[in-house]
Amino acid sequence: MFSQENLYSAFSIPLNLKENANAVIRMHDVKVDMKSFNEMHITEKKIITVLNSKGETHIDAYIHYDDNIKIKGLEVLVFNKQGTQIKKIKMHDFKDASAISGGTLYSDSRVKFLDYTPVSYPYTIELISKIVNNNTAFIKSFQPLNGYYLSVENSSYTIAYPKNVTIITKEKNFGDLELIKSETLGLYHYEVNHIKAVKKENYSPLFDDMVPKVMIASTEFALEGVSAHIENWDDFGKWMYHDLIKDTHDLPAKTVNTIQELVKDETNAIDKAKKVYQYVQDKTRYISVQVGIGGWKPFRASKVDKLGYGDCKALTNYTMSLLKAVNVESNYTVVFAGKSQRNMEKDFAAMQGNHVILNIPVENDEDIWLECTNQKLPFGFIGDFTDDRDVLVITPQGGKIKHTKKYLLNENEQIIKGKYSLSNQGTINVNVNIVSKGIQYDDKYWLETKTKRDLDKQYKKRWKYINGMSISNMKIENDKQNIKFNENVSFLAPNYSKIIGDRMLLTINALNRNSHIPNRYRDRKFPLLIKRGFKDIDEIEISLPKDYKLEGLPAKSNIESKFGNYSFEINVKDKNTLVYKREFVIKDGAFPKEDYNAFRDFYKKVSKLDNTKVVLIKNNI
Amino acid sequence: MRIIAVLLIFCFASTVFSQDYKFGKVSKEELQEKFNPKDSTANATYLYKKRYTYFQYDQGEGFRLMTDVHERIKIYNQEGFNYATKQLRLHVSSTGSREELTSIKGYTYNIIGGKIEDFKLAKDGIFESKLNKYNNQVKFTMPNIKPGSVVEYKYTIKSPFVSTVDDFILQHNIPIKKLDAKFEAPEYFTYKMNTKGFLPIRPKNTKANGKITFVNKTRTSGSIRVASRTSFSTSEVEYSKNISIFNLENIPALKDEPYVNNINNYRSSVAYELSFTKFPQSTIEYYSTTWEDVVKRIFKSPSFGKELNKSGYFEDKIDALIDKVSNPAIRMTLIYNYLKSQVKWNGFYGYYTDEGVKAAFKNNTGNVADINLMLTAMLRYAGLKANPVLVSTRKNGIPLFPTREGYNYVVTHVRLPEGVMLLDATSQYSTINVLPLRTLNWQGRVMAEHGGSELIDLYPKTISKNIVSMLLNLDEEGNLKGKYRSTKTNHKALSFRKQYNSLSKDDFLAKLDNKYNGLEILDYKVENDYDVSKPIVESYSFIKENQADVVGDKLYFSPLFFFKTSESPFKLDKREFPIDFGFPSKTTYRISISLPQGYKVEYHPEQVVMKLPDNLGGFKYNISSKGNLIQVIISTELSEPIVSSQYYDAIKSYFNDFIAKEGEQIILTKI
Repeated sequence: MFSQENLYSAFSIPLNLKENANAVIRMHDVKVDMKSFNEMHITEKKIITVLNSKGETHIDAYIHYDDNIKIKGLEVLVFNKQGTQIKKIKMHDFKDASAISGGTLYSDSRVKFLDYTPVSYPYTIELISKIVNNNTAFIKSFQPLNGYYLSVENSSYTIAYPKNVTIITKEKNFGDLELIKSETLGLYHYEVNHIKAVKKENYSPLFDDMVPKVMIASTEFALEGVSAHIENWDDFGKWMYHDLIKDTHDLPAKTVNTIQELVKDETNAIDKAKKVYQYVQDKTRYISVQVGIGGWKPFRASKVDKLGYGDCKALTNYTMSLLKAVNVESNYTVVFAGKSQRNMEKDFAAMQGNHVILNIPVENDEDIWLECTNQKLPFGFIGDFTDDRDVLVITPQGGKIKHTKKYLLNENEQIIKGKYSLSNQGTINVNVNIVSKGIQYDDKYWLETKTKRDLDKQYKKRWKYINGMSISNMKIENDKQNIKFNENVSFLAPNYSKIIGDRMLLTINALNRNSHIPNRYRDRKFPLLIKRGFKDIDEIEISLPKDYKLEGLPAKSNIESKFGNYSFEINVKDKNTLVYKREFVIKDGAFPKEDYNAFRDFYKKVSKLDNTKVVLIKNNI
Repeated sequence: MRIIAVLLIFCFASTVFSQDYKFGKVSKEELQEKFNPKDSTANATYLYKKRYTYFQYDQGEGFRLMTDVHERIKIYNQEGFNYATKQLRLHVSSTGSREELTSIKGYTYNIIGGKIEDFKLAKDGIFESKLNKYNNQVKFTMPNIKPGSVVEYKYTIKSPFVSTVDDFILQHNIPIKKLDAKFEAPEYFTYKMNTKGFLPIRPKNTKANGKITFVNKTRTSGSIRVASRTSFSTSEVEYSKNISIFNLENIPALKDEPYVNNINNYRSSVAYELSFTKFPQSTIEYYSTTWEDVVKRIFKSPSFGKELNKSGYFEDKIDALIDKVSNPAIRMTLIYNYLKSQVKWNGFYGYYTDEGVKAAFKNNTGNVADINLMLTAMLRYAGLKANPVLVSTRKNGIPLFPTREGYNYVVTHVRLPEGVMLLDATSQYSTINVLPLRTLNWQGRVMAEHGGSELIDLYPKTISKNIVSMLLNLDEEGNLKGKYRSTKTNHKALSFRKQYNSLSKDDFLAKLDNKYNGLEILDYKVENDYDVSKPIVESYSFIKENQADVVGDKLYFSPLFFFKTSESPFKLDKREFPIDFGFPSKTTYRISISLPQGYKVEYHPEQVVMKLPDNLGGFKYNISSKGNLIQVIISTELSEPIVSSQYYDAIKSYFNDFIAKEGEQIILTKI
């Protein structure tokens, strides 16, 4: 063991822990003392040395509290580089604020946070806190690292619990790291030493899927005064359905009539569900209000019916009640939302997730998933917000882990068909049609409601390599029935091609140039993960300027790689007309880190070929 | 021509229907409107916005400032749904007095089956929370919002803070069809009105009479046989009220543009500041009326003048620092650098000290005033002519009229034989006469020692330069090897230091590498990264593949390669507001390119000089070739920190033209 005094000085950090680190956790000790199924005391002590301004975020001195979480003690000591104490900050000197995040109208959760201006780097913070929490549904995991660019000297965790409570645990991602542990009845202890800092790398697996942690939960717990006993997903599902959801399905009779009337001509469940979904989209909007158990229990359906708004739980539950009124079965589904495709931890039945969607089981076919917080999405389309991941489906009979829709590369298609003509002065005049599907639809559908001024900005941004664009026509159509996004754009841009003496140099790919090259890493650490594939097909007809003719034509090109393929060709249709065809496919998949450079090279080649020039020369030469 | 004009007026007149703005009288026409006929891009529109602010006398409490608000908003589509949620801030003072919100009432109106239906804002949809020490927040959102809904709400705020009247905002990011505003103050309170923005706004001023009724309670004490009695009498005080009224129609939406320093500078609004009070039988109490008064009042405040006069806490430190130096300019630099290393800025603005200079010095941290008043005091102590300068940051907007709120920041002004120096010790990379960008906002006010003041232009006059020299070698496959060296001065150096010093060298290099889509960088060096007295010198060698197009036996490339400007920031067709570049700047590239063996220049672009009108800047392109060398000098200059919008077309086409010129190609052919 180190002496604690030693930890206050920045000089005593082992050299290899400084590598890639913006901050170093010198020691971190969490003690959870579960007094009963509805009371736990959490004592935390953390000594962290901040090496530079980027390391500030790792201090993480935010303490949330509300009616069920009481802060009993909170204190910070600040030490300079040499380890001499320079400041003491007590609880009442912490800033206090409402913990309302963006998009939330109201939440009763509040936060106390440290607001300290460092005089110089490095410096060391000692944070000591004591909290009593009557919600035991969430027990802090033992997770020594909470981000990139952070290293750990020592981190330990102890949980003590009473005999009438059962604790379940799950260890993840320790790999080569030695987890020191002792698990005796009533007392679990974990400890690790020396975790080196890692840099963030693009196209890598989710941090949560790589970071070492021990997940911890109690099978008996309390949540805002509601108690539960859960040993598996079936228990969990039953509890959630019967204790939190069931009694909120109180639609007013008038609405039941309206909705039954609305679907009376529909014979099958899916058509009924489509009408109900449209009804919900027209009637409601997303507004988040979180008070007490309302953080986990949906608003009553009658309340949503009256107010026309609610959060994800409320709107999902409302849709579910309406479907029930027309005899369509659907299930409340808990998910980790976000592009990162985080899975629910399959074999760890405990509170998880941050979002709710609706599941409609379909006999002999794939389930339908509904995002109920969005007024624009087509029926059954969930996009990259909740696609391709394990989710928890709650049914009256219990909970089930299911996997949401994966958008395959062939579904994520963009087809560009267009024409452009080039003037003697090098001005380009473009008419183009773009049809997008799947995830590429998801990237664009929100344009539907943008104003002309914003759309104009969007297109100028999309084709930012074309200067001086003036757009004469923008027509967009959101075909929700077939889940296709259709864009027609016409524009003019002077000086598009470069006139060089008697020649003109034309970058033939005007409308879909890849400029993305994945970041270079001198020493890649993480495997390569491509979460979603896509396919772009372009066909453009080009009219040459009348005073110029073709001098040289680039040969067609085709690259095949395990990450996808790329090809283009230019054909002469007649003396004045060329046809440019391009296809670019990226496949989704996981690859070892050794493949990263090849992946990057593939993109580099695509970028280069997308800048292929055609040389024109004056007719009279 | 005339006939058309008359017809147009007639057309407009015929489409206007009389509208009822009484609360609750929402019309079918309003509900059926699909878009704003005057601005079809608006997602929502204030159909009506009313605000009356007036005084009420509460016996035992005194005058209270009352504000009645009534707003009716049309929501055309989903993008406008945000306007169904309202957020209010209520001020709370440290002594416990607070603003109170009363009588909120609101309805959403929808057309359902051809009929108007209303939905009430319920009490449980209104949320009040404590935001911080000084503010509470009230939020509410209206029920049953759909595209086409009209929402309407009203409320009253009662405030004990009669000296701070919230600004009347007369323009929003969505249009306003009709606006009524009124400010009414008893003769005892004299306010100064300030207007800003691009709309012509003039109030109608009138007077009216007001009356306060006092109830006097007299209590006669009883004795054993006679019960005690309370009797009431009333007395009245009459006074006159000054009223200003704004009735406006069809106020256009305010739209943001690139290179606008702060869009709120252009938002039309009216501010009232209490300049003095004069109650019967008492003397006039001044708040502020002229800039001189503002300056005096700020000066007199204990958090300013007194703090400025303290010196005991630093004397021995400064004595030791400047003991052997007599040159004033060197003394200034020594003190400035010493203070920057000793006391760090905590991120808070203000011209009043927070903890006080002494505490800030001791704790090594303070707000803007703590630091820069300390700096001024130290410089004065060292015998220099130093004065504080009141500044309004870019975020705070432009102080057009004398108010204390007009300023929110303070820097230091030093007069030396060499000239005038401006200093700000809150920013680590700021130097003498290179203030951080946040302070570059029109004019500051230098406060002389005896209360006088004068204006000083804060926009820098010195051109910030970036001079890049490159020696490049191109091979026949189009791969490029080169040596890069740049010298950056003033604000170009400041922004470089800010970025470079906040990252590890590795991260910085990775960023640079990726900024140019895969640039291999070798021998990267930065000189003077912390020595702000000298320019930044950055140098490295690099390799980049595929920098020329190889077509047959020819090579095509533009001489700036990947350093060329790729995109113009000025894409919008029209421009309303001045273009604010922050500081004058000039970038020069001197490039020497060695050709691959066996190639000669077949063509190179012509030299060009482009000039912006009225010496606002220009572009120079010089190129020559000799043997296997091409020499290029390209410079772009913007000589003014801020340019009026009337030059927008010129600037827009200037950017497009020089970007096109930078893209012009050189052709090499095999010999």
